[in-house]
Amino acid sequence: MAMSPQRTVDTGANFRHPLYQVLLETPGLTVGTAALDDLLTWGLTNAMWIFPMATSCCGIEFMATAASRVDIDRMGVIVRATPRQADVMVVAGTITTKMAPRVLKLWEQMPEPKWCVAMGSCAISGDFYRNLYSVVPGVDTFMPVDVYVPGCPPNPEALMHGMLRLQEKIQRQRRGEVVVPEVNPGLMKVTQPSVPRLTEPTRSPEQTLAQERASDNPTADEESAPLEVAAGPAPQVAPLVGGDFAALLAELGVTELPADGPPVIPLAQHLELARRLKALGYRQLVTMVATHWLAGKGRKGADPAEPEHFELTTAVRTIGPGSKVAAWSVRLAPDEPVLTLSGVFAGADWQEREQFDLLGVRFAGHPDLRRLMQTENATTFPLRRDFPADAPAPPWR
Amino acid sequence: MTPLAATVRPRVNPYLSIDALDPEAELMLLHFGPQHPSTHGVFRMDLFLDGERIVKAVPHCGYLHRAVEKLCEKLAYVQLPPIVDKNDYVAPMTNEQALVMAFEAMLKLEVPRRARWMRALFAELQRVASHLLWLGTFSLDLGGALGGGSTVFIYCFRERELVLDLFEAVTGARFHYNTHSIGGNRHDLPAGWGAKVKAALDTIEARLPEYLAMTLHNHLFEQRTRGVGVLDGELALELGVTGPNLRASGVDHDLRRDAPFHAYDEVKVNVATARGGDCYARTEVRVAELVESLRLCRALLDGMPEGPINSGKPTKLPVQTKLPAGQQYVGIETPRGELGTWVIADGSQHPYRLKLRPPSLHALSALPYLLPGQTVSDAIAILGSLDPIMGEVDR
Repeated sequence: MAMSPQRTVDTGANFRHPLYQVLLETPGLTVGTAALDDLLTWGLTNAMWIFPMATSCCGIEFMATAASRVDIDRMGVIVRATPRQADVMVVAGTITTKMAPRVLKLWEQMPEPKWCVAMGSCAISGDFYRNLYSVVPGVDTFMPVDVYVPGCPPNPEALMHGMLRLQEKIQRQRRGEVVVPEVNPGLMKVTQPSVPRLTEPTRSPEQTLAQERASDNPTADEESAPLEVAAGPAPQVAPLVGGDFAALLAELGVTELPADGPPVIPLAQHLELARRLKALGYRQLVTMVATHWLAGKGRKGADPAEPEHFELTTAVRTIGPGSKVAAWSVRLAPDEPVLTLSGVFAGADWQEREQFDLLGVRFAGHPDLRRLMQTENATTFPLRRDFPADAPAPPWR
Repeated sequence: MTPLAATVRPRVNPYLSIDALDPEAELMLLHFGPQHPSTHGVFRMDLFLDGERIVKAVPHCGYLHRAVEKLCEKLAYVQLPPIVDKNDYVAPMTNEQALVMAFEAMLKLEVPRRARWMRALFAELQRVASHLLWLGTFSLDLGGALGGGSTVFIYCFRERELVLDLFEAVTGARFHYNTHSIGGNRHDLPAGWGAKVKAALDTIEARLPEYLAMTLHNHLFEQRTRGVGVLDGELALELGVTGPNLRASGVDHDLRRDAPFHAYDEVKVNVATARGGDCYARTEVRVAELVESLRLCRALLDGMPEGPINSGKPTKLPVQTKLPAGQQYVGIETPRGELGTWVIADGSQHPYRLKLRPPSLHALSALPYLLPGQTVSDAIAILGSLDPIMGEVDR
């Protein structure tokens, strides 16, 4: 369905029903149609069914609005979790570039007449996530918004007030008035998104078209590009023997434990150390962290001799009283693979996928090395230090 | 740990390709999510179905990837607590605590005793609110079996509002409190607040039996949850599953007791465990924790020491707080499990790298092991029982 960028201002053309049209065109029925019109307006404004596009924190306040204390049901507002039976989409929460195609698709699946409420500052402008590579700077950059409810998150009362303002707006629209959002121009300038809003004159139809195309089949688009991972040859594994963590490290030649971070062990011992620690009782995987150190920097601070490298740190834990964490790091040159730990700790699977996705660290022998956070056809590694935080992600930001 | 009956079940291999499982391509592929009311946010699973049975499940997350870790690299340390509030938005208090505790550990900053007790009290109240929200939404997920499902939801939200009112009285916000700062707390407890807390706790405690009758003691609820989604303790440990999900699989591990922080070295915690590993056991553990938290709240209120609430150390130009070069990991027990902060500092005003360890991400990584063999309706129960919060999964 083609969506015109001008739809923000509803002319009321969408209210025409064939039966209604017959009544309008029948001579002598003006009085009757006026009364019928009032009746329809009354019905419309008191039976606004919401499709909750609840993604994050605002979704919890949205639930609180629907729950016992505020109970928005008394305004005839019912939450319907399907776009086909809803009049109002409440966008409650941050919309990311991965989610945006789906939001637009669901919006297009809603039957006319329909309205949109942007709840919370993330939906309005992206809030403090606005300038980040994965966040859409406000939903009004790709779909029309009728009412903005500010707050982080807005109270249930604020959302209720927003719904009342929407009722008011619909009543005025039904009387034939042109209702535009009352915005503070200064505020609009401060929250200027990287993509022109639908209401802005600078908005190009190509932008709208690109967004519509991107939302046609989001799932297929996301997975269209096969992932090419050149994992390289697996490093040699040297066996380790005995002892507790310190003794294990001593056998690796790591005698002094640094005070400013976990000990760095030879890359070839990574997998074996994990196995040994697990046998020692460190049975729970805590986390895996990769860090990107640019040339001239390292964990000891600035050092001109230091080349660009990655450090991958793994932490494991013992169970029960007196629980201890053991952590170790391996140092990797760019593009140097490290053996996966997913055979020892099943949870390393997702941790490694995350570090691969965000930093581009490669794990040899990983059974399922796909991106975890970004779409599978993404080409960037955003947590690398040289990646700009505000990188554009067309057509959404 | 004694071996569980659950460990007898062979572990599912989640890496089998669908071509091997289904050479004739007769299975149905169901995209479950990302916009689905039962996904507790935005989360997608590709379910390969043989009739109603799930053969293979492939979870996809990242629909709420807000690049928090990248944002943290750009901001000063004191600006971070309100940012991480938004990660686990059902328990923002504990989010802040995990973050500022890592900074305090690096600065070797002594937190006053009253501030530590207040943090423990906030954490326990937050656990009450979080578990109430979970019980409500989980019952909503189970739907028809509980008389429309929304009964428990409406009741639980009524009680959760009591806790939010208490937090609002202290911090001025219903959530996203920003009440923890490096070295202590920002808001002291207002006069007469303790009595309000006790009244709220009494109300919640008095109404609990009503919820138990509708959930744990309801045979329909039992039929939907008993033996559904059995997570074996050894697998849970390997996956890094923590918190109530781990304890429901028979592993007796709670950081409040095992690696005490806040005031938990002075106020002892009775750790609740269950042995089933199924959705019912996870409910049992959370309800037992709820009751225990009510007790802890009272104990913490009664023993609340007097004194300063902030070490007062980085007060002069707090924005210029610098952490010495080095690394630190601090993990605390939140309502969902071990929430950790790994901070890597290079001596400047901004973290060089900040990794948050979200308990929900690890809980969700159990799904490919839990879902095969279950039905689609069980998938909703299993997902709900793991209590994922997508804000902290995707960050």
